Amino acid sequence: MLNLLCVCGNGMGTSTLLKITVREVCEELKIDADVDSCSAGEAPSYMMQTDMILTAPEWAEMLTTPPNVVMCTSTNLIDKKIIREMLEKTVKEHFPDELG
Amino acid sequence: MVNFILDLLLKQILGTPFILIAIIVFVGYAAMKQPFGKSLTGAIKAAIGMLVLGVGSSQLIANFGALLTALTKQFGVKGVLMDTYSTMVACNQSLGDYASWSIYTLLVAFLVNILLVAFRKYTKIRSVFLTGNVMVVQAAIATYIVYRFLHTPSLSTIFIAGVITALYWGIMSTLLIKPTHEITGADFTIGHQQMLGSLLAYKIAGKVGNPKDDIERKKLPGFLSIFQDNIVASAMVFLISVTVIFIAMGGKTVTAMAGTTNIVIYTIKTALTLAANIYILLAGVRMLVGELMISFKGFSEKLLPGAVVAVDCAATYGFAPKSVILGFLFGAFGQIAGVLALLAFHSPFLVIVGFIPMFFDNATIGIFANKKGGWKAAAGITFCSGIIQVVGTALAASMMGLSFWQGSFDWATIWVAIIAALKGIGALLGIPVV
Repeated sequence: MLNLLCVCGNGMGTSTLLKITVREVCEELKIDADVDSCSAGEAPSYMMQTDMILTAPEWAEMLTTPPNVVMCTSTNLIDKKIIREMLEKTVKEHFPDELG
Repeated sequence: MVNFILDLLLKQILGTPFILIAIIVFVGYAAMKQPFGKSLTGAIKAAIGMLVLGVGSSQLIANFGALLTALTKQFGVKGVLMDTYSTMVACNQSLGDYASWSIYTLLVAFLVNILLVAFRKYTKIRSVFLTGNVMVVQAAIATYIVYRFLHTPSLSTIFIAGVITALYWGIMSTLLIKPTHEITGADFTIGHQQMLGSLLAYKIAGKVGNPKDDIERKKLPGFLSIFQDNIVASAMVFLISVTVIFIAMGGKTVTAMAGTTNIVIYTIKTALTLAANIYILLAGVRMLVGELMISFKGFSEKLLPGAVVAVDCAATYGFAPKSVILGFLFGAFGQIAGVLALLAFHSPFLVIVGFIPMFFDNATIGIFANKKGGWKAAAGITFCSGIIQVVGTALAASMMGLSFWQGSFDWATIWVAIIAALKGIGALLGIPVV
C-alpha cells in the first residue's frame, strides 16, 4: 500500500481537488493507496508516513524530502490525463510492486 | 407531539450546521453509489471538520476581540481584520439560530450554477464552481448580507442569496476561461474571490504594459520563497501588524495588558496565537470542504459532463511562480499604503491586514497582469489592487457592522456594490437593519 500526499500553497483548494483526482486514478490503475492533502508548510510533519508527494514544482522546491519520499511534480494539477500519466510513470519506476 | 417532531426535524437536525453538513455529505456519497461505510466516514469527518472550525473560530474571535477592544478604547477607531475564513464565521455567528441557512444557500447556489450551465445556450455561462473552500465562505457572507438588510424569512433569504452568488460565480468564472487558458494552456478556469480583479488586470495590463517584460523569464532572489510557506507567512503578517499596533498604543498600555509577561514575548505570543487560531480554523474548513468537494465534483461530472470546472486560484501558480511572488509583494505594499491612507483621512475603521487576502488575491491578479503586460504593469496593478482591497474592506465593514471582512478584490468591489444596493432597497422599503 502507498501513502500519497497532495500538496499546495494553503492546503485548501488545489490540493483537495488533486486528492480527489489522484484517488480516482489510483482506483482505475488498481493501486492500493491512502491519499491525503495539506499545505506546503505542513508537509514536513507528514513526511515520515509518506511514500510519494504530488505537487507543483514551486512547492516542491520548498520541501526537503527525506530519501524515503519520491517527489512527483506537474505544473498542471487539474487535468486528470496528465496526473494519470505522471502517477503511472512514477509508480512504475519507484514502486513497481504496487501496480495492480 | 407533532411540535416535538417538527422541532427535532427542522430545528435540531436540519437546523444544526454540523449535523446538516453530515447529512449532505452522506447523501452525496450515497448518490454516487459509494458503499455505506465510506459514506458514513465522509459524513463523520465533515461533522468533525465543522466542529473543529468552531473551536478555532471561537478562540480567534476571543483573542482578536481583546485586541480590538484595546484599539477602540485608546484611539476610538474600530479595528477590522481582513481575513477570509474568520469573516465566514463572523457572518454565521451574526445569523445566530439561522446559521444553517448558509449551508442551504451554498446548495441553492451550486444547483443554480449547474442550471445556468445546463442552459448555456441561453445564459452563456459555461463553468461550474468547484472551489468548495471559497463556496462555503461566500455563501455564508451572502446569506448574512441578504438577511441583514432585507430581513427576509428563511426561504426568501436562501433563494435571493443563492441566486446572487450563483450569478456571480457563473458570470465571473466564465469570463476568465479564455485568459486562464492563455496562461495555463489547460481547460479549466478560476473560481475564486478575485475574478473581477484578474479580469481587469488582464485587460488593463495589455494596454499599459509590455508582455515582453514577462517576469517568468527573469531571475528572482531565493529568500522570497519564505512567503510560500502559509503558516510562517501568516505568522509574519500578524507579527508585523501586532507590533505596529502595540508601538502605537505605547509601552504603558501594553505593559498593563501583558501583566507579568515581558512585552516583547507578549507581542510575539499575541501574534502567533492569532496565527495558531487561524490554523485550527483552516484545519476544520479543510476537513469539511474536502468531503463536500467530492460530492460537488461527482454531481457536476454526472450532470454536466464536459463543463468547464472553475477551481482554486492556486491551480495557476505552477504556471507562473514568479508572478505569484511579484503580485504578493506589490499587493502587500498597496495594502500598507491603503492602511496609511485610512489613518491619514482619520477613517473610523482601521483595517488590520491578514495573510490570505494579502497573498492569494494579488498573486493571482499578478499572474494575469504579468501575462498581458509584463512585470512593471503587474507591479502597478497589484499595488492599486492592494489599496482597493483595504478601502473596500473598510466600506464593507462599516455597512455590515462586523469586525471582520474578507477583503478579497471582488469582495472589496462588486460585493460592496451589492451590499450598498441591498442596503438601499432595504431602506427604501423601510426594513430595519438587523
